[in-house]
Amino acid sequence: VRTLERRGSVGRQRSLPYLLVSAVVLYVGVVLLYPIGLGVYSSFTRQELLSGVEPRWIGLANYERLLRDARVWRAIQTTVFYTLTVDLLVLSSALGTALLLNNRFRFRWLARAVIALPWAFPEVAAVLVWTWMFSQAFGVLNVFARWLLPVPENLPWLTDPTLAFASIAVMTTWKIFPFYSLVLLTALQTVDLDLYEAARIDGAGRVESFWFITLPGIAPTLGIMTLLITIWSFRRFAIIYLMTGGGPAGATETLVVQVYNTAFKFFDLAYGATIGVVGLAMSLLITAAYFAAQRRLGMGDR
Amino acid sequence: MSAGAVRRGHARPWLSSRRGVLRRAALYGAVCAVCAVVFFPVYWMIVISIRPTRYTINYPPNLIPEVIQPSTYVEMYTTVPIGLWLRNSAIVGSGIMLITIVLSVLAGYAFSAFRWRGRGAFGLALLVTQMLPEALLVIPIFVIFRRMDMIDTLQGVILAHAAFVIPVSVWILKGFFDTIPDEVREAARVDGCTELGVLWRIMLPLSAPAVVTVAVIAFFDGWNEYLFASTFITSSQLRVTSAGLASFIGELSTPLELVLAGATMFAAAPIVFFVLMQRYIVAGLTGGAIKG
Repeated sequence: VRTLERRGSVGRQRSLPYLLVSAVVLYVGVVLLYPIGLGVYSSFTRQELLSGVEPRWIGLANYERLLRDARVWRAIQTTVFYTLTVDLLVLSSALGTALLLNNRFRFRWLARAVIALPWAFPEVAAVLVWTWMFSQAFGVLNVFARWLLPVPENLPWLTDPTLAFASIAVMTTWKIFPFYSLVLLTALQTVDLDLYEAARIDGAGRVESFWFITLPGIAPTLGIMTLLITIWSFRRFAIIYLMTGGGPAGATETLVVQVYNTAFKFFDLAYGATIGVVGLAMSLLITAAYFAAQRRLGMGDR
Repeated sequence: MSAGAVRRGHARPWLSSRRGVLRRAALYGAVCAVCAVVFFPVYWMIVISIRPTRYTINYPPNLIPEVIQPSTYVEMYTTVPIGLWLRNSAIVGSGIMLITIVLSVLAGYAFSAFRWRGRGAFGLALLVTQMLPEALLVIPIFVIFRRMDMIDTLQGVILAHAAFVIPVSVWILKGFFDTIPDEVREAARVDGCTELGVLWRIMLPLSAPAVVTVAVIAFFDGWNEYLFASTFITSSQLRVTSAGLASFIGELSTPLELVLAGATMFAAAPIVFFVLMQRYIVAGLTGGAIKG
């Protein structure tokens, strides 16, 4: 009886994990994988959002159109440039802020709470405030710009292509760097204090101890952060779409905004899906590249 | 992460050295500058929300409000259907929270406590789905949901968005379950607990902070949801706050103070929770990602 019981429990134990994950697998499969399949299928068809006409198979025609479409290439460039800019701005401001907050000072809890604010802020609420701050006629940022910079007039924050790109990058940085600085602060606090003491005794200055102790200590966190910032810059929709809609003249139209515009503004569902497939391939490529790099650097088994 | 470790802080040796006083002044100055820059948009939202529009559409704007008119916050409820919108946002948030917790507790437990064939592939699949941009999938999801008659329902928004929250949540819970020693589970099993009993009576109470963290993240992810809500929902009765507020962007017919007061109400709830729980949330989010 005993062995039977045990065998039964082992059998149950074998199937139990599958049972536990089956709900997630089924659900995520239906809501994510099936749409991916459908998206890939749509990219070989012709269909409009509002017409009741059945999708028609047209082979690679959408992809041929895409290869010749300067708008798509521009969007890919914009996406890459936006991602790099945001990576750079967020990494530097998060690191600077984390190093500051890692000091002991009075009211540090208050500073931490203030820094956490933009992270908690809903994107749409943030967009509402920032569009008013960026208003050329009435925006408060003009006041600061005219204090700090030699500009005689209010600036076209969201209507000049170059400036609009910069404005979006700055607003994005404000919104997301707080989270990463809190993450880095946590990482900084796991760096062994004795190492700093030892370095000091060996005559190392603050630059050396930052370079040889702090930086290696937080390197894995910085790596993960870069991946997350990159992926999220690639994914970012609401902020860009609501601030500029991709304009002016396509200057802030990243790939995801273009997909949305193509499908829901120009009602070209299939072509939108085609651009979407390219975007999906790019995001998978970024992830794969990250994991390959991580394995090569020997951090894979952390 | 213990709160003590954070509070103790890491006094840098160089701060207590000779030019310590000057450095302290520089430190306080820098902290104040960063806080000011970060806080300004929040301050500005409140300023616009408590003064009449004519002071906002005026250049140069006064940095300190000349008139304070808190009645906006009452007037808002009658002029803008903010109460309805907030209720709908809360429904979406709760729905996403419920689905996420149930599904990711089960999957996270399987992922952490058992060794099974396909486990590695499952983890990788979770990581990859976490990277998928929802704006790229909104078209096929729209097509599928239209076939299932779930367009223009809050359930549709909930079901579509939760799929993007679950992968992260599984990782967070798995990361937390991993920290509970196997002996605890062994002991419970020896005492005659079934596997699900172990999960329910031992693992869940022990990982309450992680479950609460996941709940808060999932709820506010739903609360802030914009993409699916704005694409799927057309009837005004079902509008959520983010989509409702977004419809005011760039228009001037509604008094600005009402719109920004709505935004303030909308932002208040997540701010309270995230600021109070920032340590748990950061620990949860990074624990999963870094150990993964």
